[in-house]
Amino acid sequence: MDKTKNSLFQNTRNKILTRVLLAPFIVLLSVCGILVYYFAGYSRNQVENNLMRIASDHCRLIDQFFFERKSDLSFIASSYRFEDLNDKKKLIDIFQVMQSDSKAFFDIGLFDENGNHLVYIGPYELEGINYADTEWFKGVRDNGLYVSDIFTGFREFPHFIIAVKGGDKDRTWFLRSTIDSFYFNKLVEDVRIGKTGEAYLVNKNGYLQTKRRSGGDLMDKDQDFGHYLISEDYKANYPTNLNSFQNYLYVNVKLESKDWFLVVRQEVGDAYNLLQKGILYSLMIIFIGGSIVILIAFVLATRLSDDLARADKEKKEMKTQLIIAGRMAEVGEMSAGLAHEINNPLQIVKSEQALIKEILSSFDKKNGLVDMKDLDLIEESVEQINIQIERCKIITQDLLTFARKNDSSIQTIDINEFLHDIILKNKHRADSENVQIIESYQENLKSIETDSFQLQGVFINLLNNSFYAVKEKRDKIIRLSTSQNNSFIKVTFSDNGCGISSENLEKIFTPFFTTKPVGHGTGLGLSTVYGIIEKQGGKITVTSELNVGTEFKIYLPISKDDKY
Amino acid sequence: MASMKILLVDDEERFLATTKILLEKKDIDIFSASNFNDAMKILDKQKIDVVILDVKMPDHDGIEVLSTIKVEHPLVEVIMLTGHATVESAVDGLKMGAFDYLMKPCDISILVEKANKAAIKKRVNEEKMRMTKVEDLISDPLSVLENKKKIN
Repeated sequence: MDKTKNSLFQNTRNKILTRVLLAPFIVLLSVCGILVYYFAGYSRNQVENNLMRIASDHCRLIDQFFFERKSDLSFIASSYRFEDLNDKKKLIDIFQVMQSDSKAFFDIGLFDENGNHLVYIGPYELEGINYADTEWFKGVRDNGLYVSDIFTGFREFPHFIIAVKGGDKDRTWFLRSTIDSFYFNKLVEDVRIGKTGEAYLVNKNGYLQTKRRSGGDLMDKDQDFGHYLISEDYKANYPTNLNSFQNYLYVNVKLESKDWFLVVRQEVGDAYNLLQKGILYSLMIIFIGGSIVILIAFVLATRLSDDLARADKEKKEMKTQLIIAGRMAEVGEMSAGLAHEINNPLQIVKSEQALIKEILSSFDKKNGLVDMKDLDLIEESVEQINIQIERCKIITQDLLTFARKNDSSIQTIDINEFLHDIILKNKHRADSENVQIIESYQENLKSIETDSFQLQGVFINLLNNSFYAVKEKRDKIIRLSTSQNNSFIKVTFSDNGCGISSENLEKIFTPFFTTKPVGHGTGLGLSTVYGIIEKQGGKITVTSELNVGTEFKIYLPISKDDKY
Repeated sequence: MASMKILLVDDEERFLATTKILLEKKDIDIFSASNFNDAMKILDKQKIDVVILDVKMPDHDGIEVLSTIKVEHPLVEVIMLTGHATVESAVDGLKMGAFDYLMKPCDISILVEKANKAAIKKRVNEEKMRMTKVEDLISDPLSVLENKKKIN
């Protein structure tokens, strides 16, 4: 039984736990989930937009650069005559003017219509070389304006050039200027995009046109080239794609001035840095806070169910103690009666002893002469003492029998003998209190199987109650009768005492209910009686009338298997 | 002083017999009764000084007996004899006019001692009453003709 009670309490604890924790947690996690989802979406949006805007702006910057440099060169080409340009000294001046405009121009060279390098201002030895087969020459000859990709050329150093066609109907010539890589790189690279962001240029085949900060020299193939999509439509110059690859976000924009792409990339972690931090901290707090909450709830719930279990145990212990106390009270009542019983024999013994002493001392006076009569008296006294001691023995034995804490044991008894035995034990009390006990038993009743010790307690209790009830009456009568009633033995126990009022009649079997004054009776007797009878499979009923008397009817099953 | 007359009332016959033997050796006139009716008969017949009365008796409550005695023989002193469980009755008895009480089992010598004291009190009261009656008579001699008061 204890095990099921235990699991009941554990069950309660678990129920409390889940119910207390579940609802708030679900709410909390839902809220968090929603926030994270939308915030993540928002952040992503922000990051992407940011990146795209940076790319777009930067792209425009670079386009602007190209536009200006082209304009610069075109202006020079159209403003000066061939003769001026062909003059080295004059070209140096012109070049210095150009350089004052923009430091981006690295060198300048004049070419004739056949591709011969006529004049060169710059650090390399390039004059006199024929460039007719170079791509740029072909390009500028055909288109009038040409910006090259990065190439090594005759100087064997990666660079790119702008070339314009100059001249009139008579003559055609070409001006070419190299763009300072260093300057140009700086222009392209110099954009702040978080901690890991960078920008670089690639041509339509994926070859780097500026150095890549994260690794990649000019003219190398961008190792990530395949992993971000280039728009097929080269006319697009706004960011159309945001790709992610290997924790990096890539935006690419096509330049307007040239078929190059500006690639802007940023580490995802860097881009989503704030979002990730936010999620991380939130999760930490949820985890730690949640653990604390669960711990507290668990402790509380455990303590609660422990308290319940303990209270239940205490209740059970108290019940047991009360039953014992009740029995002790019964014993106390009995013993009060019996103590008087013992005093009478003791009084007699004392007087006998005094008599013997008296007779013995009178022997001295008679100078050793012994009167036979005196000896007879002594003998009689001694005999009486024995009788009285036996009497005491019976009385104390009765008390001990009742007070003994017996385990219940089923015995077969004859109810008439059984009841008569109890009445005999209480004869002294009946006599001294002037109570008449009338027994009328039906003959040849079947024996019953019952716990005789407990049944004894039942009738002793009824007897005690009756003694108490008839106190104030003149003629005190207690009646006891037995009969057979189908498969039950019926015992009728009645007295002509003060009776029980109808409102109390409902309550008499209730534990602790008593009409006796404080100190007389605990109120446990009849509730124990009821319990015992019920347990034996029997039934007890009561009828009563105030000042007339009370009658108890007890039905006991003959066989243990019967139940009323 | 004439020997004390004691009436012992107790339901234990053997106790009555043995105590009688013991007390007769001490020059005490002892009468015994084991029930109320016998006791009252003896009180009517004999000039009892002290009644030693067992509180718990079968046919009558000890206190009832005490009050009856006090009504019919007011000068007789009563000593209650009680077993431990009935100390309350003894105290009630004292309130009702008993002289003293004895706890069972009691020492015979203590019983005799208390009986003596009770007897003395009774004799003293008797003497007082006689004196009062004599004084009344002296002061108003004609009252003899009116009332037939016995001088006990």
